[in-house]
Amino acid sequence: MNWQNVATIARKDITIMLTRRALRIALILFPLALAIGFAQIIRFSDYSAAVLPQTLNAFLFFFINYTGALPANIASYSMVGEKIERSLEPLLATPATDGEILLGKGIAALVPPLVAIWTGMATLMAYCDFLTRGTLGALYFPNWTAALIMFGVAPLVAVMGVTFAVLCSARVSEVRTAQQLGALVAIPSVAIYIVTLNGTLQLDPASLGLMCAVLLVVDLALAFAARAAFGRETILTRWA
Amino acid sequence: MIETTNLTRTFGHLTAVDELTLTIAEGEVFGLLGPNGAGKTTTIRMLAGMIGKTSGEARVADCRVGDPADARRLRSLIGLMPEEAGLYPDLSAARTLDFYGRLYQVPRDERAERAERLLTMLDLWDRRDARVRTFSKGMKQRLTIARALIHNPPVLFLDEPTANLDPEGARMVRDFLLQLKQEKRTILLNTHQLAEAERVCDRVGILHRRLVAVGTPDALRRSASEHATAIQLTMVTDAIVAAVRQAGYPDAVVDGNTITAGVDKPERDNPGLVQAIVAAGGDVQYVTGIVPTLEEAYLKLLGSDEPASER
Repeated sequence: MNWQNVATIARKDITIMLTRRALRIALILFPLALAIGFAQIIRFSDYSAAVLPQTLNAFLFFFINYTGALPANIASYSMVGEKIERSLEPLLATPATDGEILLGKGIAALVPPLVAIWTGMATLMAYCDFLTRGTLGALYFPNWTAALIMFGVAPLVAVMGVTFAVLCSARVSEVRTAQQLGALVAIPSVAIYIVTLNGTLQLDPASLGLMCAVLLVVDLALAFAARAAFGRETILTRWA
Repeated sequence: MIETTNLTRTFGHLTAVDELTLTIAEGEVFGLLGPNGAGKTTTIRMLAGMIGKTSGEARVADCRVGDPADARRLRSLIGLMPEEAGLYPDLSAARTLDFYGRLYQVPRDERAERAERLLTMLDLWDRRDARVRTFSKGMKQRLTIARALIHNPPVLFLDEPTANLDPEGARMVRDFLLQLKQEKRTILLNTHQLAEAERVCDRVGILHRRLVAVGTPDALRRSASEHATAIQLTMVTDAIVAAVRQAGYPDAVVDGNTITAGVDKPERDNPGLVQAIVAAGGDVQYVTGIVPTLEEAYLKLLGSDEPASER
């Protein structure tokens, strides 16, 4: 694996990505707006100390819905965009291997949204700590649950979004269709979110650990499938 | 520099390239001619190590095509200009060359120096920071040439480099190809433009899934079509026509005051033909050699070809 090639491809994709105004807004404003919005709900509601931890966890977990969809959207654009522009052929003619190209593109689709979402989560945690310190008598964040959501579930869901988008991109030739298919990745996290809201699933370290284990298995399976779909031979002879 | 032996590629039941055996010497410009679907692009993709071969052998610059151990080195020695420009519309010309230069492991200083030289030569330097989406078709095509050359490859694969260009743009690209020829790079040029092949290539091959013919443009012209000589007289009489036919040209055609006769070797046959006309009282004004074009040879060779694999 030539990491310089991976970094070069990732940097190129991020440069192109940041030329899209809508995406810049989605990356920068939306996570911050979500954090501030949730904090305002805490601020103007009258949650008791018994209910607050569960509410704060639920708000933090809400970011996960966004964590799957945004990288999937970016990866779809990146893959199908190259397909439409026919720019994969010259890229495949370079010494970069299929794995390096896929990894570079994956990192480009993964890192900016993840950083944006972490920033949103960190803002939510800091703001909520400031607002709830009096009620709870201590800072609620950071804690193990938050750490597992941020650094376990979020990256794993983001990887799922990217790998799923690569698979979808192999089958479609239109960015919008690929993005719509990629957005399906948000369904499992929305379902989990609903289950946590009705109390069937507790957002505690044990259940989050289990969730991470399941996601890891799903990610590995999707990554192998994506790697198989992203072969230069397949791309040049069947992706057109 | 490029050598293939019975190189074959099939897609399901379709044979795209059928037992292609070809040798291209170092520094040679070889043109691959053929209609759409003849297997030209598949040949280039196989030789560039981008798709596999079904059978046969190929070597490019001492790299075995299809050998995973040689794959990275093979691609680093080849500059590819695909049929579709395949540029990133949101990158500038300079960023495009920098990106590909990095992937080809060109050191930073060399990358910048080469990009400047290529963009200057291709008349794009003033637009180096403009996004590619603002470029005309001709500018994009020139940028793809620069991209193919950013790592200074000894072997170039050019797939229809002047397709869809206006005459001015096509001429600029052709002039640049002639410049590349002087640099003694080995070039495999896929083209529909027979005049382009004739002007640029040392040898050409006519591909119709299998190699139908190969040789210099001149040799192909001669092998596939007859030379003819047109002789314009002040007046053509029956005696003159009879004399020409008796001199060994029974198929000579009369059109107004011009007699056209097929000849095997103009330099050998023309003097006798003219003598026969003069002896019959003809007053010769002009003698014009009619040289068959590569296009005529191409169409004739393709017309006589029916690939065995065609279904």
